[in-house]
Amino acid sequence: MAVELTAPAAPARRVSARHFVRLKLRVMGNNFRGQGWRIALFVVGVVVGLWLAATGFFLFAAPGLADEGRYASMVAAFGGGLMVLGWLLLPLVFFGVDETLDPARFALLPLPRRTLVTGLLAAAAVSVPAVAVLLALCGLVLTAAVLGGWVAAVVEVVGILAGLLLCVAAARAVTSAFASMLRSRRVRDLAAVLLAVAAALLGPLQLIGISAVQETDWSRLTGVAEVVGWTPLGAPWTVGIDVAEGRAWAAPVKLLITALTLVVLLVWWSRSLESAMTGAASTGRAPAKAGPTGGAVAQLFPRAAGWAARDRFGAMVARDARYWWRDARRRANLITVAVVGLFVPVLVNLGGAGFAMDAEQGFAPAGSASSPLLVSLSMVFVGVLAAVTLANQFGFDGSAYAAHVVAAVPGQQELRARMTAFSIYVVPMLAVVAVVITVVLGRPAWLGVIAGSLIATYGAGLAVNSFVSVLGAYALPETSNPFALNTGAGVAKSFLTLLAMLGTGAAAVPMVVAAALLGDIWLWLALPVGVAYGVGAALLGAYLAGDVLDRRQPELLAAVTPRR
Amino acid sequence: MSLRGLAKAFDGKVAVAGVDLDVPAGSFYGLLGPNGAGKTTTLSMAVGLLRPDAGVARVLGHDVWRDPVQAKHLLGVMPDGVRLFDRLNGAELLAYNGLLRGMDPAVVDQRAAELLDVLALGDAGRTLVVDYSAGMKKKIGLACALLHGPRLLVLDEPFEAVDPVSAALIRDILQRYVGSGGTVVFSSHVMEVVERLCSHVAILAEGAIKRAGTIEEVRGKRSLEEVFVEVVGGRTATGEELAWLSN
Repeated sequence: MAVELTAPAAPARRVSARHFVRLKLRVMGNNFRGQGWRIALFVVGVVVGLWLAATGFFLFAAPGLADEGRYASMVAAFGGGLMVLGWLLLPLVFFGVDETLDPARFALLPLPRRTLVTGLLAAAAVSVPAVAVLLALCGLVLTAAVLGGWVAAVVEVVGILAGLLLCVAAARAVTSAFASMLRSRRVRDLAAVLLAVAAALLGPLQLIGISAVQETDWSRLTGVAEVVGWTPLGAPWTVGIDVAEGRAWAAPVKLLITALTLVVLLVWWSRSLESAMTGAASTGRAPAKAGPTGGAVAQLFPRAAGWAARDRFGAMVARDARYWWRDARRRANLITVAVVGLFVPVLVNLGGAGFAMDAEQGFAPAGSASSPLLVSLSMVFVGVLAAVTLANQFGFDGSAYAAHVVAAVPGQQELRARMTAFSIYVVPMLAVVAVVITVVLGRPAWLGVIAGSLIATYGAGLAVNSFVSVLGAYALPETSNPFALNTGAGVAKSFLTLLAMLGTGAAAVPMVVAAALLGDIWLWLALPVGVAYGVGAALLGAYLAGDVLDRRQPELLAAVTPRR
Repeated sequence: MSLRGLAKAFDGKVAVAGVDLDVPAGSFYGLLGPNGAGKTTTLSMAVGLLRPDAGVARVLGHDVWRDPVQAKHLLGVMPDGVRLFDRLNGAELLAYNGLLRGMDPAVVDQRAAELLDVLALGDAGRTLVVDYSAGMKKKIGLACALLHGPRLLVLDEPFEAVDPVSAALIRDILQRYVGSGGTVVFSSHVMEVVERLCSHVAILAEGAIKRAGTIEEVRGKRSLEEVFVEVVGGRTATGEELAWLSN
């Protein structure tokens, strides 16, 4: 019954869906023609898929093989739930669903939307991952059969088929909805942030997960599994187990839940298909807003730079501050610094305790393994990271830098303005990092050392990167993709970044040495000394590098102008 | 503006081989040349965007490369194929350029409003320059070059990719500017525009000035196009080759 709901089954549509599947197979086949490496890749994919399927099969079949009825619903609910989540999230993270049949290709064909959605769904279900998942899920059928006989097995077969469709539909609906959004700068930036956060969180989550697995009272999880089993995440997978355990009434209800979810997903998908087909993607830019407010000069200065004088220096600060937010490439850099700058020191300093965190122990004792030296080192890292963002600061502007050359902007003023604008964002961020680290470590007395090392390194880094940015600038391609690099620029970029980081690190050595040698008195001295050191270094850097810049303006412009 | 022996080679390939050019004050000077003749390179060297291998560029008596601040103060430049700070909107961009030139904020405000109004860019409101059309970008670029009231205006391809209405507007503004004592140098490969606007013209080909003078001197009794094609040495008529085209 549920199957009929999930795959609307009027004869005409069936034919259409079959066409889609055949089309997909034909396209896949044609892709292989004469492409040995593609066939090889495909075979590797199939083998990996089969291997994973076999693993999954035995995991799902384990309760049945071991005849351990009490774990059956837990394995089904959690394993199946993870499966749905995986289908939902993995394509988003890797920005890929198999687009062998691109919906846009069907835009000109007179197809009802329903036919299209059903057909594309059927075609999407014909793929290696879907088949692998299906094979793995057969383990559940085996479990149901062992525990509840053939009736349970048949119900479970219906369940996993509906569940598989649910997975595929979820993946399609979500990616299709996000596809148009992903074309906009904003969302891609957001995605980059989420990725960075996810990557940063992977380590600790793994450790927490392992300790959780060791500690957990398994019987407590049964209740959770029961609840999950009633959500769309677990409903399709647990029907056979329910029948086996004598709750036959639950099966139709759960299948209904699955079917309703599927219908909702398909409706959502067909909505977003429309815009995918006509390419009516928003470019993420704000439409022309109502007329300007205030004079031209008042418009240029953002609130964050409102204090700046209305002169050349102020204008450059204001423009650069606007650019750090409005230019996708710069913003991506800024966000990366914020995320990594916050997470890495937390990990490093907590990692000092070897992450032997038990549920009872918590954070504070973990901090006790840290020391002013270790904290200083991690702060040096954050400062280096923040400052190195400016290593190609002129490359961000590209040929627009010509305006500065034409206006004969003094180099020292230019560099000071750029440092100031960047600091509008970074200094508050560093303050947050300092406070967060202090709180996490539970060592308020270390705030001075932490903030001092941060500011000193950041200031020294600004100086070093001024030189690098003037002498080692390179052109970035003129695209909206924040991660795009010109071919060959990758090597140059990593080399220059490394150079700048080494230079900054070297410049920050005095702070670390002081932290190691001076002992407690350094806790008080670190902040004033660090601030003086940082500000002094930055100003000296701007002074010296500005001189170089004055002599190199046209060469710098040529270096940052992309070749066309 | 006077250029003496300006030369530039890129990777051993000569782009400009010694350009001598005198632009009298108050003239409307057209620099003509086929694609790749070195127009942009020459103008870039003349305004201080590209360091020449040899030669001197002077603007109203100031050496662009020895005394750049004074020379650049008198210059208004609209380069071609160069981005503006396009993540700003029109008004912000003008304000930025004005303050960059060390102008008084009140004056910047007033002139920016006037320029946006005259160039019909006021409607764009807060649209970022990056989202402007090609013609609008040319116009805002011209506004940036005009904002500080330069004595000499150097424009690289000001009429390229501009629709007829905007082109007429730009022509009108430039003519008024020259009428009130300013000097304009611009490059183009469109004969009609040059013939209609310019008092003087120079033809640049293969990195050297082939003809220069008032438009009457250069043109003589023929059309400018004929002279241009003759100087540049292109072929104007086809023979037997493409006979199949007539079918």
